[in-house]
Amino acid sequence: MRLPRLPENSIATRLFLTAAASSFIVLLIASLFFTAYYRRETEVVFERRLEVYLRALVADVAQSGEEGHTDPGQLGDPQFELPGSGWYWQITRMDGATQDIKASRSLFANRLPKLADRGVAAELGGFRRGFVEGPDGRRLRIVERVIDVGDMGVYLVQVAASDEEMEEQIERFHFALMVAFTMLAIALAIVAAFQVRFGLRPLRRLQQELSAIRRGEDERISGAYPSEIAPLANELNLLIGANRDILERARTQVGNLAHALKTPLSVIVNEAYSTPSPLADKVSEQATIMREQIGFYLDRARAAARGGAIGASTQVAPCLDGLLRAFRKIYAERNIAFIGEASADMRFLGERQDFEEMIGNLLDNAGKWATREVVITIVAETPPTPDARSFLCITIDDDGPGLTPDQIREATQRGRRLDETKPGSGLGLSIVADLAVAYGGALELEKNAAGGLRARLRAPGF
Amino acid sequence: MRLLVIEDDKDINRQIVAALEHAGYAVDHALDGEEGYFLGDTEPYDAVVLDIGLPKKDGITILEAWRANGRMMPVLILTARDRWSEKVQGFDAGADDYLAKPFHMEELLARIRALLRRATGHATNELVCGSVRLDTKSGRVIVDGAPIKLTSHEYRLLAYLMHHSGRIVSRTEIIEHLYDQDFDRDSNTIEVFVGRLRRKLGVDLIQTVRGLGYMAAPPVETTDGKR
Repeated sequence: MRLPRLPENSIATRLFLTAAASSFIVLLIASLFFTAYYRRETEVVFERRLEVYLRALVADVAQSGEEGHTDPGQLGDPQFELPGSGWYWQITRMDGATQDIKASRSLFANRLPKLADRGVAAELGGFRRGFVEGPDGRRLRIVERVIDVGDMGVYLVQVAASDEEMEEQIERFHFALMVAFTMLAIALAIVAAFQVRFGLRPLRRLQQELSAIRRGEDERISGAYPSEIAPLANELNLLIGANRDILERARTQVGNLAHALKTPLSVIVNEAYSTPSPLADKVSEQATIMREQIGFYLDRARAAARGGAIGASTQVAPCLDGLLRAFRKIYAERNIAFIGEASADMRFLGERQDFEEMIGNLLDNAGKWATREVVITIVAETPPTPDARSFLCITIDDDGPGLTPDQIREATQRGRRLDETKPGSGLGLSIVADLAVAYGGALELEKNAAGGLRARLRAPGF
Repeated sequence: MRLLVIEDDKDINRQIVAALEHAGYAVDHALDGEEGYFLGDTEPYDAVVLDIGLPKKDGITILEAWRANGRMMPVLILTARDRWSEKVQGFDAGADDYLAKPFHMEELLARIRALLRRATGHATNELVCGSVRLDTKSGRVIVDGAPIKLTSHEYRLLAYLMHHSGRIVSRTEIIEHLYDQDFDRDSNTIEVFVGRLRRKLGVDLIQTVRGLGYMAAPPVETTDGKR
């Protein structure tokens, strides 16, 4: 089984760890309490048993004193008969010149030490309790009492027993308790893990939906969410929608501005053209500069509006087909073949217009210089890690004269035009480079095997 | 060659029409989409200059409707919308070329010439028929190495016939392609122009095909002197 890793800063980890820690602490306290309680109860029972034997002996002594003989020992417990069993009793006559001692058989020839000699205080009722070392070195729990039977003398009655058995019993209980509580703790941890997984599943789903939107596979968050995060999902949808609207509006405004400026500029240029004069030449020249500037800054504005775009994605194949159809028409006169295709499931992660702008400018540039053909190939790169952003690698080759390294450097600079004799604004390659950067990709130019120019564009997609 | 210009900006419209007329074309113009669509759908134009952002009916809709109706004349889209996505849309609607504003008039004229040439299957600006050479770029006509002067109507007639050399062109077709819609059409004038043109060219280029029309074809050299 794969152990789920616990990321440090995660709600799941926090919930799981607090649940596990709190149940562990509760179980620990409970086990300590139960053990202590059980020990106390067991000791009480044990003490009572000793006391019962002691009372029986005391009663025996008192009775036998009256009757003139003593034969205690009929306590009914065979443990007292077996030597070294750990259960002992001893009756010592205290008032005689010689100490007359009777003891259980189990004590054999040994004698029990006296608590009274050690200065243990007597309880109410004359009992003394304590621990002594037994004949075989075992620890004994002992209860003793002095009784005065008048004429019959004064006796010290002692009952002692090893508490080993009791300790073993407590130990066994403790072990059983530990096993039970450990299993309980494991069960609780499993329940907590399950609870966290189940409870946080909507969050995980939300995260998946968001990343699908970011990848451009989805338009909006669509699932039904529990009441705690449903407002969050709604807000996110609104945010994504607003982002799209702002972008769309900005683009429309930019387009309108372009239209509004370019038409009067056309009029000026044409008017100057139709009435040749030094003034007209100047007007024409300045209007051309204005035209270039408008183009340059509008393209920049459009490029800047990118980047922030959330979750747009574009099917590559229809875009490319459309562009190739257009280019075959545009370059029909010069008979240049435009060759290329993209697989149907390929997607560019961004706005369609931007993709067409980048590929269109690259194809146009290639077409201007090509002598016979322009070849475009699009492949999806395999990302280095499964979580990394995936990219499309778009290569456009022409069989034209190519560029020197210096020219290549110049071409991708802003607003430079390589050859004034070729038609076009000259901003094509640099706007492609700008757009590519805005999308986190890059544009590279180099010489291909045929001596022509190869443009390599990296753009997000799969 | 008769052209149609659909452009809602009055100044640009006027400038284009003037430049095209100066270059020797018969030109009709429309300032809105509806009128433009109607003209293009009913009159036989050799090429159309079409703006996209038009009042009443936008350029893309017009173009698609023409193509759906089988109107296949070459169309040049002229617009300030110069994004590739917009160009692709234009080409997919059936445009033959695309020119972004602001533009140079020379470039527009060159594109129109190229469209007309391609539509009639010619590879260069120079049309040659026998000893007559006609340069559509400069508007010059050279016969046996010597330039000759033609009026604009004569030039238009010759250019149309030479664009369609080897094909019989009816009188109605000539009238439709030579004059803009405001011209007072009278088929007799064609005969007059043909007569004058034959005289100026001095070579036997324009044949009369009785009952059908005219045809530009180099004189056929035959051993028995018959044609």
